[in-house]
Amino acid sequence: MNDHPTRDEDFDLYALGALEGAEKQALESHIAFCLGCAQKVADARGRIAMLALAAPPAKAPAVVKERLLRQIREARGQGGGAVTETELQPASRAVLSRWTAILIPIAAVLAVATFLLWNANRRLDSQLAALRASAQQQERQLQDAREITGLITARDTITVQLAPQPAMPQGTAHVMYNTKMGMLMYEGQIPPAPAAKSYQLWLVPASGNPISCGVFNPVAGEPDHWMMKLPKGIEPRAFAVTLEPSGGMPQPTGPKVLVGAPS
Amino acid sequence: MTPETSSEPRASDAVLIDRLVLRDEGALAVLYDRYAGVISSVLHRILRDDQAAEEILQDIFFQLWNTASRFDSSRGSLPAWLVVIARNRAISRLRRHNPAAGEALLEGMAVSPFNLESSAARQQLVERAKASLENLPKEQRTAVELAFFEGLTHSEIAARTGDPLGTVKTRLRSALETLRRTLHSAARSASQLE
Repeated sequence: MNDHPTRDEDFDLYALGALEGAEKQALESHIAFCLGCAQKVADARGRIAMLALAAPPAKAPAVVKERLLRQIREARGQGGGAVTETELQPASRAVLSRWTAILIPIAAVLAVATFLLWNANRRLDSQLAALRASAQQQERQLQDAREITGLITARDTITVQLAPQPAMPQGTAHVMYNTKMGMLMYEGQIPPAPAAKSYQLWLVPASGNPISCGVFNPVAGEPDHWMMKLPKGIEPRAFAVTLEPSGGMPQPTGPKVLVGAPS
Repeated sequence: MTPETSSEPRASDAVLIDRLVLRDEGALAVLYDRYAGVISSVLHRILRDDQAAEEILQDIFFQLWNTASRFDSSRGSLPAWLVVIARNRAISRLRRHNPAAGEALLEGMAVSPFNLESSAARQQLVERAKASLENLPKEQRTAVELAFFEGLTHSEIAARTGDPLGTVKTRLRSALETLRRTLHSAARSASQLE
Protein backbone atom coordinates (compact mmCIF):
# COMPACT_ATOMS: atom_id res chain seq x y z
CA MET A 1 0.00 0.00 0.00
CA ASN A 2 1.72 3.12 -1.21
CA ASP A 3 -1.36 5.28 -0.76
CA HIS A 4 -2.62 6.32 2.62
CA PRO A 5 -5.40 4.12 4.02
CA THR A 6 -8.68 5.60 2.84
CA ARG A 7 -10.63 4.86 6.01
CA ASP A 8 -9.66 5.94 9.48
CA GLU A 9 -10.99 2.71 10.96
CA ASP A 10 -8.11 0.87 9.27
CA PHE A 11 -5.80 2.28 11.92
CA ASP A 12 -8.12 1.14 14.72
CA LEU A 13 -8.50 -2.31 13.14
CA TYR A 14 -4.72 -2.60 13.02
CA ALA A 15 -4.32 -1.47 16.63
CA LEU A 16 -7.04 -3.91 17.64
CA GLY A 17 -5.16 -6.76 15.93
CA ALA A 18 -8.12 -7.64 13.71
CA LEU A 19 -6.39 -6.95 10.39
CA GLU A 20 -4.66 -9.93 8.86
CA GLY A 21 -2.90 -11.14 5.73
CA ALA A 22 -2.40 -8.73 2.85
CA GLU A 23 -4.35 -5.90 4.52
CA LYS A 24 -2.11 -6.03 7.58
CA GLN A 25 1.11 -6.27 5.55
CA ALA A 26 0.07 -3.37 3.32
CA LEU A 27 -0.59 -1.11 6.29
CA GLU A 28 2.62 -2.14 8.04
CA SER A 29 4.74 -1.45 4.97
CA HIS A 30 3.03 1.92 4.54
CA ILE A 31 3.51 3.14 8.11
CA ALA A 32 7.15 2.11 7.95
CA PHE A 33 7.83 5.22 5.84
CA CYS A 34 4.79 7.45 6.45
CA LEU A 35 5.16 9.37 9.72
CA GLY A 36 1.66 10.82 9.44
CA CYS A 37 0.03 7.40 9.28
CA ALA A 38 2.42 6.03 11.94
CA GLN A 39 1.11 8.78 14.23
CA LYS A 40 -2.45 7.74 13.38
CA VAL A 41 -1.58 4.17 14.39
CA ALA A 42 -0.17 5.49 17.67
CA ASP A 43 -3.38 7.46 18.23
CA ALA A 44 -5.41 4.34 17.49
CA ARG A 45 -3.31 2.26 19.93
CA GLY A 46 -4.00 4.77 22.70
CA ARG A 47 -7.70 4.85 21.84
CA ILE A 48 -8.05 1.07 21.61
CA ALA A 49 -6.10 0.63 24.86
CA MET A 50 -8.88 2.56 26.57
CA LEU A 51 -11.19 -0.41 25.95
CA ALA A 52 -9.24 -2.15 28.73
CA LEU A 53 -10.95 0.20 31.14
CA ALA A 54 -14.26 -1.50 30.31
CA ALA A 55 -13.03 -4.76 31.89
CA PRO A 56 -14.69 -5.66 35.21
CA PRO A 57 -12.69 -4.01 38.00
CA ALA A 58 -10.11 -6.15 39.80
CA LYS A 59 -8.11 -5.32 42.90
CA ALA A 60 -4.36 -4.90 42.66
CA PRO A 61 -3.08 -7.89 44.68
CA ALA A 62 -0.94 -6.74 47.62
CA VAL A 63 0.88 -10.08 47.54
CA VAL A 64 2.18 -9.33 44.04
CA LYS A 65 3.51 -5.98 45.23
CA GLU A 66 5.39 -7.72 48.03
CA ARG A 67 6.79 -10.33 45.66
CA LEU A 68 7.80 -7.62 43.19
CA LEU A 69 9.71 -5.59 45.77
CA ARG A 70 11.40 -8.78 47.03
CA GLN A 71 12.35 -9.70 43.47
CA ILE A 72 13.94 -6.28 42.99
CA ARG A 73 15.95 -6.53 46.19
CA GLU A 74 17.15 -10.00 45.24
CA ALA A 75 18.14 -8.83 41.77
CA ARG A 76 20.03 -5.91 43.27
CA GLY A 77 21.83 -8.23 45.67
CA GLN A 78 22.96 -10.49 42.82
CA GLY A 79 23.99 -7.64 40.57
CA GLY A 80 25.85 -5.65 43.23
CA GLY A 81 29.06 -7.62 42.94
CA ALA A 82 30.26 -6.38 46.35
CA VAL A 83 33.63 -7.61 47.47
CA THR A 84 33.48 -9.15 50.93
CA GLU A 85 35.95 -8.19 53.66
CA THR A 86 37.30 -11.72 53.95
CA GLU A 87 38.56 -11.50 50.38
CA LEU A 88 40.78 -8.47 51.14
CA GLN A 89 44.29 -8.63 52.47
CA PRO A 90 45.36 -5.89 55.01
CA ALA A 91 47.80 -4.26 52.52
CA SER A 92 45.32 -4.13 49.71
CA ARG A 93 42.76 -2.70 52.15
CA ALA A 94 45.06 0.27 52.86
CA VAL A 95 45.68 0.87 49.11
CA LEU A 96 42.01 0.58 48.45
CA SER A 97 41.28 3.09 51.18
CA ARG A 98 43.62 5.70 49.60
CA TRP A 99 42.21 5.13 46.12
CA THR A 100 38.70 5.25 47.48
CA ALA A 101 39.32 8.71 48.91
CA ILE A 102 40.42 9.90 45.46
CA LEU A 103 37.99 7.97 43.31
CA ILE A 104 34.73 8.53 45.16
CA PRO A 105 34.55 12.29 44.48
CA ILE A 106 35.59 11.72 40.84
CA ALA A 107 32.96 9.02 40.46
CA ALA A 108 30.35 11.31 42.00
CA VAL A 109 31.20 14.13 39.59
CA LEU A 110 31.15 11.72 36.65
CA ALA A 111 27.81 10.31 37.76
CA VAL A 112 26.25 13.78 37.98
CA ALA A 113 27.73 14.78 34.61
CA THR A 114 26.48 11.55 33.03
CA PHE A 115 23.01 12.10 34.42
CA LEU A 116 22.92 15.70 33.17
CA LEU A 117 24.13 14.64 29.71
CA TRP A 118 21.62 11.80 29.59
CA ASN A 119 18.83 14.18 30.56
CA ALA A 120 19.88 16.74 27.95
CA ASN A 121 20.11 13.98 25.35
CA ARG A 122 16.60 12.84 26.20
CA ARG A 123 15.25 16.37 25.77
CA LEU A 124 17.06 16.79 22.45
CA ASP A 125 15.73 13.46 21.19
CA SER A 126 12.18 14.57 22.00
CA GLN A 127 12.68 17.93 20.27
CA LEU A 128 14.17 16.21 17.22
CA ALA A 129 11.22 13.80 17.00
CA ALA A 130 8.77 16.72 17.26
CA LEU A 131 10.62 18.66 14.54
CA ARG A 132 10.67 15.64 12.25
CA ALA A 133 6.93 15.11 12.71
CA SER A 134 6.27 18.79 12.05
CA ALA A 135 8.43 18.80 8.89
CA GLN A 136 6.62 15.72 7.63
CA GLN A 137 3.28 17.34 8.32
CA GLN A 138 4.28 20.50 6.43
CA GLU A 139 5.54 18.44 3.52
CA ARG A 140 2.20 16.66 3.32
CA GLN A 141 0.28 19.92 3.48
CA LEU A 142 2.44 21.33 0.69
CA GLN A 143 1.90 18.22 -1.40
CA ASP A 144 -1.85 18.43 -0.79
CA ALA A 145 -1.82 22.11 -1.81
CA ARG A 146 0.07 21.23 -5.02
CA GLU A 147 -2.41 18.49 -5.85
CA ILE A 148 -5.42 20.73 -5.20
CA THR A 149 -3.91 23.46 -7.38
CA GLY A 150 -3.20 20.90 -10.11
CA LEU A 151 -6.77 19.64 -9.97
CA ILE A 152 -8.37 23.08 -9.97
CA THR A 153 -6.25 24.49 -12.79
CA ALA A 154 -6.34 21.46 -15.12
CA ARG A 155 -8.41 22.22 -18.25
CA ASP A 156 -10.08 18.82 -18.29
CA THR A 157 -11.28 18.96 -14.66
CA ILE A 158 -15.07 18.93 -14.47
CA THR A 159 -17.22 20.48 -11.74
CA VAL A 160 -20.46 18.73 -10.90
CA GLN A 161 -23.06 20.40 -8.69
CA LEU A 162 -24.90 17.93 -6.42
CA ALA A 163 -28.58 18.74 -6.01
CA PRO A 164 -30.55 17.91 -2.87
CA GLN A 165 -33.28 15.30 -3.29
CA PRO A 166 -36.91 15.76 -2.15
CA ALA A 167 -37.66 14.84 1.49
CA MET A 168 -33.96 14.49 2.24
CA PRO A 169 -31.62 16.70 4.32
CA GLN A 170 -31.08 19.86 2.26
CA GLY A 171 -27.48 20.72 1.57
CA THR A 172 -25.25 22.12 -1.11
CA ALA A 173 -22.19 20.45 -2.52
CA HIS A 174 -20.07 20.07 -5.60
CA VAL A 175 -17.44 17.66 -6.82
CA MET A 176 -14.39 18.52 -8.92
CA TYR A 177 -13.10 15.51 -10.79
CA ASN A 178 -10.34 14.82 -13.28
CA THR A 179 -10.52 11.46 -15.05
CA LYS A 180 -6.91 11.47 -16.31
CA MET A 181 -5.45 12.47 -12.96
CA GLY A 182 -7.80 10.17 -11.05
CA MET A 183 -8.42 12.93 -8.52
CA LEU A 184 -11.62 14.05 -6.86
CA MET A 185 -12.37 16.91 -4.52
CA TYR A 186 -15.62 17.24 -2.55
CA GLU A 187 -16.82 20.46 -0.98
CA GLY A 188 -20.20 20.82 0.62
CA GLN A 189 -22.34 21.64 3.58
CA ILE A 190 -25.11 19.37 4.72
CA PRO A 191 -26.98 18.90 8.04
CA PRO A 192 -25.57 16.27 10.44
CA ALA A 193 -26.55 12.66 9.70
CA PRO A 194 -29.23 11.06 11.92
CA ALA A 195 -28.08 8.85 14.81
CA ALA A 196 -26.23 5.67 13.76
CA LYS A 197 -26.01 6.92 10.16
CA SER A 198 -23.23 8.36 7.99
CA TYR A 199 -23.20 10.04 4.61
CA GLN A 200 -21.20 8.36 1.84
CA LEU A 201 -20.07 9.89 -1.46
CA TRP A 202 -20.10 7.66 -4.55
CA LEU A 203 -18.74 7.96 -8.05
CA VAL A 204 -21.10 6.09 -10.38
CA PRO A 205 -18.97 5.01 -13.35
CA ALA A 206 -20.18 4.68 -16.93
CA SER A 207 -19.96 0.94 -16.40
CA GLY A 208 -19.54 -1.14 -13.28
CA ASN A 209 -20.44 -0.67 -9.62
CA PRO A 210 -20.39 2.64 -7.73
CA ILE A 211 -17.06 3.51 -6.11
CA SER A 212 -16.96 4.81 -2.54
CA CYS A 213 -15.27 8.21 -2.32
CA GLY A 214 -15.54 8.82 1.40
CA VAL A 215 -17.75 8.36 4.45
CA PHE A 216 -18.46 11.49 6.46
CA ASN A 217 -20.40 12.78 9.45
CA PRO A 218 -20.81 16.55 9.14
CA VAL A 219 -20.84 18.86 12.14
CA ALA A 220 -23.77 21.33 12.18
CA GLY A 221 -22.91 24.56 10.38
CA GLU A 222 -19.47 23.41 9.22
CA PRO A 223 -18.51 22.60 5.63
CA ASP A 224 -16.82 19.35 4.64
CA HIS A 225 -14.10 19.09 2.07
CA TRP A 226 -11.58 16.47 1.13
CA MET A 227 -9.59 15.25 -1.77
CA MET A 228 -9.27 11.64 -2.85
CA LYS A 229 -7.13 9.72 -5.31
CA LEU A 230 -8.91 7.13 -7.45
CA PRO A 231 -7.66 4.82 -10.20
CA LYS A 232 -7.02 6.89 -13.33
CA GLY A 233 -9.34 6.75 -16.35
CA ILE A 234 -12.73 6.14 -14.68
CA GLU A 235 -15.42 8.01 -16.66
CA PRO A 236 -18.18 9.17 -14.29
CA ARG A 237 -21.85 8.85 -15.14
CA ALA A 238 -22.92 10.56 -11.92
CA PHE A 239 -21.94 11.43 -8.36
CA ALA A 240 -24.22 10.82 -5.38
CA VAL A 241 -24.26 11.17 -1.62
CA THR A 242 -26.32 8.48 0.14
CA LEU A 243 -27.34 7.95 3.74
CA GLU A 244 -25.82 4.69 5.04
CA PRO A 245 -25.39 2.83 8.33
CA SER A 246 -22.74 4.44 10.50
CA GLY A 247 -19.27 3.79 9.09
CA GLY A 248 -20.45 3.34 5.48
CA MET A 249 -21.13 0.34 3.26
CA PRO A 250 -19.19 -1.43 0.48
CA GLN A 251 -22.03 -0.55 -1.97
CA PRO A 252 -24.86 2.00 -1.64
CA THR A 253 -27.90 0.73 0.24
CA GLY A 254 -29.58 3.91 1.51
CA PRO A 255 -31.53 6.76 -0.03
CA LYS A 256 -29.88 9.38 -2.24
CA VAL A 257 -29.46 12.72 -0.51
CA LEU A 258 -27.51 14.66 -3.17
CA VAL A 259 -27.14 13.74 -6.83
CA GLY A 260 -25.39 15.30 -9.80
CA ALA A 261 -24.21 14.28 -13.26
CA PRO A 262 -21.58 15.75 -15.59
CA SER A 263 -23.16 17.98 -18.21
CA MET B 1 -9.39 0.92 41.99
CA THR B 2 -6.74 0.63 44.71
CA PRO B 3 -5.96 3.95 46.38
CA GLU B 4 -2.38 5.14 46.42
CA THR B 5 -0.76 4.40 49.73
CA SER B 6 2.59 6.09 49.37
CA SER B 7 3.60 9.18 51.26
CA GLU B 8 3.82 11.00 47.88
CA PRO B 9 0.66 9.99 46.07
CA ARG B 10 0.49 13.12 43.93
CA ALA B 11 3.87 12.82 42.23
CA SER B 12 3.40 12.82 38.44
CA ASP B 13 4.24 9.77 36.35
CA ALA B 14 7.17 11.62 34.79
CA VAL B 15 8.67 12.38 38.19
CA LEU B 16 8.17 8.80 39.32
CA ILE B 17 9.81 7.46 36.15
CA ASP B 18 12.83 9.69 36.81
CA ARG B 19 12.98 8.28 40.32
CA LEU B 20 12.78 4.72 38.97
CA VAL B 21 15.83 5.48 36.85
CA LEU B 22 17.60 6.41 40.08
CA ARG B 23 16.50 3.02 41.49
CA ASP B 24 13.90 4.35 43.94
CA GLU B 25 11.71 1.44 45.07
CA GLY B 26 9.20 3.85 46.61
CA ALA B 27 8.47 5.27 43.17
CA LEU B 28 7.71 1.77 41.86
CA ALA B 29 5.38 1.19 44.81
CA VAL B 30 3.44 4.38 44.00
CA LEU B 31 3.15 3.42 40.32
CA TYR B 32 2.02 -0.06 41.34
CA ASP B 33 -0.70 1.39 43.59
CA ARG B 34 -1.74 3.74 40.80
CA TYR B 35 -1.98 1.32 37.88
CA ALA B 36 -1.91 -2.30 39.06
CA GLY B 37 -5.72 -2.28 39.49
CA VAL B 38 -6.33 -1.29 35.87
CA ILE B 39 -3.74 -3.77 34.62
CA SER B 40 -5.17 -6.56 36.80
CA SER B 41 -8.65 -5.91 35.41
CA VAL B 42 -7.59 -6.40 31.82
CA LEU B 43 -5.39 -9.40 32.67
CA HIS B 44 -8.21 -11.15 34.53
CA ARG B 45 -10.73 -10.35 31.80
CA ILE B 46 -8.47 -11.89 29.15
CA LEU B 47 -6.98 -14.82 31.04
CA ARG B 48 -9.66 -15.67 33.64
CA ASP B 49 -6.81 -17.24 35.65
CA ASP B 50 -5.65 -15.58 38.89
CA GLN B 51 -2.21 -17.17 38.95
CA ALA B 52 -1.36 -16.35 35.33
CA ALA B 53 -2.66 -12.79 35.77
CA GLU B 54 -0.51 -12.27 38.89
CA GLU B 55 2.61 -13.62 37.15
CA ILE B 56 2.19 -11.26 34.22
CA LEU B 57 1.37 -8.32 36.48
CA GLN B 58 4.60 -8.86 38.42
CA ASP B 59 6.60 -9.31 35.19
CA ILE B 60 5.28 -6.07 33.72
CA PHE B 61 6.26 -3.98 36.75
CA PHE B 62 9.62 -5.74 36.98
CA GLN B 63 10.18 -4.90 33.31
CA LEU B 64 9.21 -1.29 34.05
CA TRP B 65 11.80 -1.23 36.87
CA ASN B 66 14.50 -2.60 34.58
CA THR B 67 13.78 -0.50 31.50
CA ALA B 68 12.55 2.80 32.98
CA SER B 69 15.56 4.66 31.57
CA ARG B 70 14.39 3.78 28.06
CA PHE B 71 10.84 4.98 28.58
CA ASP B 72 10.19 8.04 26.40
CA SER B 73 7.21 10.00 27.66
CA SER B 74 7.05 11.95 24.38
CA ARG B 75 5.93 8.72 22.69
CA GLY B 76 3.08 7.92 25.04
CA SER B 77 1.69 7.98 28.54
CA LEU B 78 2.70 5.32 31.03
CA PRO B 79 -0.78 3.83 31.62
CA ALA B 80 -1.35 3.49 27.86
CA TRP B 81 1.96 1.64 27.57
CA LEU B 82 1.16 -0.59 30.50
CA VAL B 83 -2.26 -1.49 29.15
CA VAL B 84 -0.91 -2.27 25.66
CA ILE B 85 1.86 -4.44 27.12
CA ALA B 86 -0.54 -6.21 29.50
CA ARG B 87 -2.99 -6.98 26.70
CA ASN B 88 -0.22 -8.27 24.41
CA ARG B 89 1.28 -10.46 27.11
CA ALA B 90 -2.08 -11.87 28.16
CA ILE B 91 -3.17 -12.62 24.61
CA SER B 92 0.20 -14.22 23.88
CA ARG B 93 -0.27 -16.43 26.94
CA LEU B 94 -3.88 -17.19 26.01
CA ARG B 95 -2.97 -18.13 22.45
CA ARG B 96 0.29 -19.81 23.46
CA HIS B 97 2.36 -17.46 21.35
CA ASN B 98 5.85 -16.37 22.30
CA PRO B 99 5.37 -15.00 25.83
CA ALA B 100 8.07 -12.42 25.23
CA ALA B 101 6.24 -10.94 22.25
CA GLY B 102 5.61 -7.68 24.09
CA GLU B 103 9.14 -7.24 25.44
CA ALA B 104 10.22 -4.51 23.05
CA LEU B 105 7.07 -2.46 23.40
CA LEU B 106 8.20 -0.10 26.11
CA GLU B 107 11.02 1.28 24.03
CA GLY B 108 9.95 0.61 20.47
CA MET B 109 6.32 1.52 19.90
CA ALA B 110 4.46 4.81 19.98
CA VAL B 111 1.15 4.93 21.83
CA SER B 112 -0.70 8.19 22.03
CA PRO B 113 -1.51 9.09 25.57
CA PHE B 114 -4.53 8.91 27.72
CA ASN B 115 -4.03 10.11 31.22
CA LEU B 116 -5.02 8.24 34.37
CA GLU B 117 -2.87 10.06 36.88
CA SER B 118 -5.77 11.69 38.70
CA SER B 119 -8.28 9.36 40.32
CA ALA B 120 -11.20 11.55 39.13
CA ALA B 121 -10.03 11.29 35.52
CA ARG B 122 -9.46 7.55 35.99
CA GLN B 123 -12.97 6.99 37.35
CA GLN B 124 -14.58 9.05 34.60
CA LEU B 125 -12.65 7.28 31.85
CA VAL B 126 -13.58 3.86 33.24
CA GLU B 127 -17.27 4.80 33.23
CA ARG B 128 -17.15 6.32 29.76
CA ALA B 129 -15.22 3.37 28.30
CA LYS B 130 -17.79 0.94 29.74
CA ALA B 131 -20.68 3.01 28.41
CA SER B 132 -19.05 3.28 24.97
CA LEU B 133 -18.86 -0.49 24.71
CA GLU B 134 -22.26 -1.19 26.28
CA ASN B 135 -24.03 1.25 23.95
CA LEU B 136 -22.88 -0.59 20.83
CA PRO B 137 -25.38 -2.93 19.14
CA LYS B 138 -24.91 -6.44 20.56
CA GLU B 139 -23.29 -7.98 17.46
CA GLN B 140 -20.84 -5.09 17.15
CA ARG B 141 -19.95 -5.28 20.85
CA THR B 142 -19.34 -9.04 20.60
CA ALA B 143 -17.02 -8.54 17.62
CA VAL B 144 -15.03 -5.83 19.44
CA GLU B 145 -14.77 -7.90 22.62
CA LEU B 146 -13.58 -10.98 20.71
CA ALA B 147 -10.92 -8.87 19.00
CA PHE B 148 -9.80 -6.91 22.06
CA PHE B 149 -10.08 -9.44 24.87
CA GLU B 150 -9.30 -12.61 22.92
CA GLY B 151 -7.05 -11.21 20.20
CA LEU B 152 -9.09 -12.70 17.34
CA THR B 153 -8.67 -11.48 13.75
CA HIS B 154 -11.52 -10.83 11.30
CA SER B 155 -11.57 -14.38 9.99
CA GLU B 156 -11.21 -15.92 13.44
CA ILE B 157 -14.20 -13.90 14.66
CA ALA B 158 -16.19 -15.05 11.63
CA ALA B 159 -15.26 -18.67 12.39
CA ARG B 160 -16.19 -18.24 16.07
CA THR B 161 -19.55 -16.54 15.50
CA GLY B 162 -20.50 -18.32 12.28
CA ASP B 163 -21.13 -14.97 10.55
CA PRO B 164 -19.88 -14.20 7.02
CA LEU B 165 -16.45 -12.53 6.93
CA GLY B 166 -17.85 -9.44 5.20
CA THR B 167 -20.47 -9.02 7.92
CA VAL B 168 -17.82 -9.24 10.63
CA LYS B 169 -15.68 -6.64 8.86
CA THR B 170 -18.61 -4.25 8.48
CA ARG B 171 -19.62 -4.70 12.13
CA LEU B 172 -16.12 -4.04 13.39
CA ARG B 173 -15.71 -0.97 11.18
CA SER B 174 -19.05 0.45 12.32
CA ALA B 175 -18.20 -0.25 15.95
CA LEU B 176 -14.78 1.36 15.68
CA GLU B 177 -16.21 4.39 13.93
CA THR B 178 -18.59 4.88 16.88
CA LEU B 179 -15.89 4.13 19.48
CA ARG B 180 -13.50 6.58 17.82
CA ARG B 181 -15.97 9.40 18.55
CA THR B 182 -17.02 8.33 22.03
CA LEU B 183 -13.55 7.41 23.33
CA HIS B 184 -11.99 10.55 21.90
CA SER B 185 -14.59 12.68 23.61
CA ALA B 186 -14.17 10.67 26.87
CA ALA B 187 -10.38 11.17 26.85
CA ARG B 188 -10.75 14.87 26.13
CA SER B 189 -13.29 15.37 28.87
CA ALA B 190 -11.20 13.36 31.39
CA SER B 191 -8.10 15.39 30.57
CA GLN B 192 -10.01 18.53 31.57
CA LEU B 193 -10.28 17.06 35.07
CA GLU B 194 -6.50 16.83 35.42
